[in-house]
Amino acid sequence: MKPLRRLSEIAPFLKEKGVCKRVAVACAEDQNTLEAVGRATKEGLIHPLLFGREIPIREAAQKAGDALDSAELRPCADEGEALAQAVEAVKNGEADILMKGLVGTDKFLKAVLHKEHGLMRRDAVMSYTCAIELPAYHKLLFVSDTAVLPFPDLDQKIAMIDYSVEMAHKFGIETPRVALIGASEKVSPHFPNSIDYALISRMNARKQITGCVIDGPLDIFCACDPESLAIKGVASPLEGDADILIFPSLEASNAFYKGLMLFAGGELAGLIQGTEKPVVVMSRSETALSKFYCMALACLVAES
Amino acid sequence: MMKITKLEQMFDVLRNESKKVLVAACANDSHTIGAVHQSREMGLVEGVLVGDKKKIMDICKEEKIDASLYRIVDEPDDVSAVARAVALINAGEGDILMKGLVNTDKYMRGILNKETGLMEKKAVLSHVTVLENPNYHKLMIVGDVAIIPLPDLDQKVAITNYLIQTAHALGIEKPKVALLAASETVTAKIPANADAAVITKMAERGQIKGALVDGPLAMDLCIDPESVELKGIVSDVAGDADCILFPNIESGNVFYKTNTKLANANLGAVVVGARVPAILSSRGDSVEVKMASIALAAMMARGKA
Repeated sequence: MKPLRRLSEIAPFLKEKGVCKRVAVACAEDQNTLEAVGRATKEGLIHPLLFGREIPIREAAQKAGDALDSAELRPCADEGEALAQAVEAVKNGEADILMKGLVGTDKFLKAVLHKEHGLMRRDAVMSYTCAIELPAYHKLLFVSDTAVLPFPDLDQKIAMIDYSVEMAHKFGIETPRVALIGASEKVSPHFPNSIDYALISRMNARKQITGCVIDGPLDIFCACDPESLAIKGVASPLEGDADILIFPSLEASNAFYKGLMLFAGGELAGLIQGTEKPVVVMSRSETALSKFYCMALACLVAES
Repeated sequence: MMKITKLEQMFDVLRNESKKVLVAACANDSHTIGAVHQSREMGLVEGVLVGDKKKIMDICKEEKIDASLYRIVDEPDDVSAVARAVALINAGEGDILMKGLVNTDKYMRGILNKETGLMEKKAVLSHVTVLENPNYHKLMIVGDVAIIPLPDLDQKVAITNYLIQTAHALGIEKPKVALLAASETVTAKIPANADAAVITKMAERGQIKGALVDGPLAMDLCIDPESVELKGIVSDVAGDADCILFPNIESGNVFYKTNTKLANANLGAVVVGARVPAILSSRGDSVEVKMASIALAAMMARGKA
């Protein structure tokens, strides 16, 4: 497969393959959510199953446009029932993707995390990876964890890498280059993250983590700019051409991606990680385009 | 300079050069004076004897040693003798310190004294042993087998640098430094393995220079190319190490003693981290070990110009 270098390439790629995924929307009585679902439906990427109270859903769907006429409505008495049934539909294979509607993120994730009825892989860490498209970079950047883990420890960082590498593979990137981001390339016990990073990059050198090339600590310049790398004289196997950026904290990664959205014309698509099937949690403030990309990403990950 | 692969090759190098000055602290016994004299006869160093002048003169007479060959500094008390020997070195009148008839604690305290001693601020005092084992094709430079019981990460980095400096002093331009553990697996659960991986990364980043560094490696992977091939380890160090960093004093101590007692290895050893190399040999050491240690110290002092 030829690597996908833009988020806009996902939908055409899936269409050509004839992919159409069934999406279970939990608590679908929300215009904002249904607009995103409507667009993906219109493009032929998804077939929606809407869980929630029938009348409010019909009203919201009408406002969201005519794309949802073919959607399957699954009437539920209340939020709890809608959530449980939507998760169950994905768990039993009736749907391929779970999507959050008008329900609190905490409640939604709690249902996903539920030991018996939830959607987590066995013993998996829940995390988040997003793919960011930037005019200033020649390919996509996969970034983790921008939403779930505040201070990932060593094992959680490794899980973040595994998930991000898995996602990059879905984009056709055979051996993604993983940069472990810090404030400099130096290893020092005064910077605990640099110690974790040294361990992880040496685990990769010892083939304990495979399917990717890992280096860190690196700052953003050395990770993504060959010139900076040359000036600093750092010998990095990533050659300033990173595909994946792993951040030491939620604050750092969150500031990074939001800065890119606001000031650098970025678009993104992200997914909850560690689940058996793709789980979509979109922020209401995201652009319509990012929301569509997010649906496309979920379909890409659900495929194969 | 040629690369030293046998201890006796140091003697050839030193014989043909201007001599470094060895200062024996508390040279009040025949073992100490005998060692200084023999090393001078071999052309390794010049000697200064600090101690009880009367005793020194008597011993020289008894042993038929020409006392006029040596500068003798009269300082009868052992603690004062150490202090005086250290002061001579700080004044630029000596290049190597050697322990005489004084217990190790007093000797070390003289070196470590904050005001009058031989330490730079924040320097780590450690110990390097150079082993010649007939079953290995070159020398093995190892540490710390004698001073630091359980080095932390910073101390391990310091010891690694001492091993590298020692290798350089022996003409090994880009030594291969193996960081020992019980396996090659990188894991945070075993401190030896974790520290070794971190130090390897530091070397990759140029924070440790002048050597190829790899760890964690188990002992077989340090020195045996066949084991490396069997395990499929990709490393520019494994199987051909010049230097081995031990994670703790027990493993290092057992290693060198097993080498000498069960495998006919010879060795030279010095205390490192002070302004000059210091010798800590004991009366029980063989003449070979004493001469190799003095020669090693001279080789290291020679590098300091």
